[in-house]
Amino acid sequence: MDPGERALLAETVRDAVEAAQAKASGPDAVDGALADLGWLEMLDAEPRDAIAIVFTALGAANATATVLDDMLATALGVEPRSDLAVLLPTFAGWDAPGRVVGGRVTAEGLAGPRVAHAAELLIPFAGDDAGAATVPVAAADITEVHGIDPDGGLHAVTVGDAEAVSVAADSRALEAALALGRRAVGHQIAGAARAMLELAREHALARVQFGRPISQFQAVRHRLADALVAIEALEAALTAAADEETPITGALAKAVAGRTAATVGAHCQQVLAGVGFTTDHPFHRYLKRTIALSGLLGSTDAIVLDLGRELLATKTVPTLIEL
Amino acid sequence: MQIAEFRSGLNAWLDEHHDEIAPRYAPPGTLDEHIEQMQHAKSLLFEAGWMRWGWPERVGGLGGSPMLRTELGAAMAGRGLTDPGLYSLVEVLAPTLIDYASADLAAEVVPRLLNGTEIWCQGFSEPGTGSDLSSLSCRAVPQDGDAATATSWVINGQKVWTSLAQYSERCVLLTRTGPPDSRHRGITAFFVDMNTPGITVAPLEMINGAFEFAEVFFDDVVVPADRILGEVDGGWAVAMAILPYERSSCFWQRTTYLYHRLQLLVEAAPETDVAAQVVGNAFLQLHALRSRSRITQHRLADGATLGAETSIDKVLVGLAEQSTYDAVQRLLPGVVELDDTPVGEAWRLEYLYSRASTIYGGTIEVQRNIIAKRLLELGGTD
Repeated sequence: MDPGERALLAETVRDAVEAAQAKASGPDAVDGALADLGWLEMLDAEPRDAIAIVFTALGAANATATVLDDMLATALGVEPRSDLAVLLPTFAGWDAPGRVVGGRVTAEGLAGPRVAHAAELLIPFAGDDAGAATVPVAAADITEVHGIDPDGGLHAVTVGDAEAVSVAADSRALEAALALGRRAVGHQIAGAARAMLELAREHALARVQFGRPISQFQAVRHRLADALVAIEALEAALTAAADEETPITGALAKAVAGRTAATVGAHCQQVLAGVGFTTDHPFHRYLKRTIALSGLLGSTDAIVLDLGRELLATKTVPTLIEL
Repeated sequence: MQIAEFRSGLNAWLDEHHDEIAPRYAPPGTLDEHIEQMQHAKSLLFEAGWMRWGWPERVGGLGGSPMLRTELGAAMAGRGLTDPGLYSLVEVLAPTLIDYASADLAAEVVPRLLNGTEIWCQGFSEPGTGSDLSSLSCRAVPQDGDAATATSWVINGQKVWTSLAQYSERCVLLTRTGPPDSRHRGITAFFVDMNTPGITVAPLEMINGAFEFAEVFFDDVVVPADRILGEVDGGWAVAMAILPYERSSCFWQRTTYLYHRLQLLVEAAPETDVAAQVVGNAFLQLHALRSRSRITQHRLADGATLGAETSIDKVLVGLAEQSTYDAVQRLLPGVVELDDTPVGEAWRLEYLYSRASTIYGGTIEVQRNIIAKRLLELGGTD
């Protein structure tokens, strides 16, 4: 895909997601719009662009969808289906959510909105013989999570004891799926962060205090500038993670995403001030969504601690990417 | 020459010639020793050809992508063969001569900079001109005739923060040639020999004890008109043309150097969770910077015109450098503060120097102003 085609596709996807989101809340309309645009074919043919474009659009529109399940299923070597949900790690962590002993699986984790209507649950499991297995959704105990982001569609899932049907995924597939998932969530945060910055920017230009738009006050300008620096750093880290697909570049991209969400959220909220503190203004939805997304597949603090331990244990600081 | 091929060939060569090219002083070394080492390394690398790749053939280069020379600078910084700050003057001043000097002058002098024969300095800042460069007042007037016909010009004024002025054979100097309030429209760039009568250099002691930069005084300094770089009153374009190199190659080299510093830190730091958090955070910032710098470097190599968006790179490099040395101070208690061994002395010099990373080359506040005005289009002035 050349840059022109990529930009055109991004615009098309963004418009379609926004239109679907405006029509109905919940994931069905957005999932439908993405299916009409050929999401699964894009994921198959141009995975890198598909992930970046679709998840950025979801973030920008603050939309809920179930495409993360498709992407993770594919990475785990399973044909994606609309009735197959993927179990994610518990909040802030990234250990595989399942354990398999003697062909029986136990699991604890989170799942997206698809799990509410799915027939099967795909569960990555850790251990010496790491892999993934499916269980019937009926075997799982599923509770809808409202939390800080009630529209996000997250569910808390536990599986007490169920018969596991193993799929072909091995530990490398699990690592690859985690890195891809982190990139996807990172793009979603980047899209949402740009949307928050645009809301704050428009407000700063329009809001007059002391006889001038607050965009003319350096204290306001510098907050917005720092928000843009954080977003650009995240987009660069996402590019690096796509160019050099390793567990560590994926982890770093997700860690930068969490840091960016916090920086952009704080600066934009301060600039939006009282207006951003009401539910009349759309800002609060982006803020809440990015706070929730920041803990998916590893929080920044947990990833930073893990990477730091690794650097100290190996006494090696890898540069990871070259010109 | 492909970049991967260049990198592997260069690294093999540097491994093989380690004993010849490595610093001969005991660390941390004095500035005199650092300068001597840089020139020594440049001469060996020029002779072996590595220093010539990425530069045009008309100035003694071997051609190829400018990223080749970025790679060379990064390898030297990463291996501790040169200080990236001292080396960066090559990267910012040689392109200026190549783009704005006469072909004969560029062909004569650029090889002397590359091969370690000469050092050049950059006469931009003045006592009244820090981040606000276009307000400079060091004056140049035609000695005979007018601006179009003069064969020589007379320069009077003062520069400050001129790095390595006392070591330099030449200076790329910005002067005021228009009316005092002509801002960026009335500036002319000259290539001045530092042994010209009337030039006085007074080195300044920096916060870390080194005399790296200087005040430079110009009293009736006569410079031939053929040493004008670019057009009369066209000096702002010359100054701005430096930006892309400073913000791409030099940042990549500095980033590589900072990875090397973090490497030294993880070899010495305790294996605690506090240390892991601090080191992990510095690593995160370096990675974000390196990711960004890599994209900028590729954009430049692909022919893009770099502009205000490089202020983002500048903010990232300033903060990443400081957080690297903050990590050193936090995880090696007493080293920066009290350690009088050579190791402590080296960390202390670098720690103190890193405080300038949000000041030089346009303060972080000026970068944020540029981002707000140019990239976020918030209106108002820079």
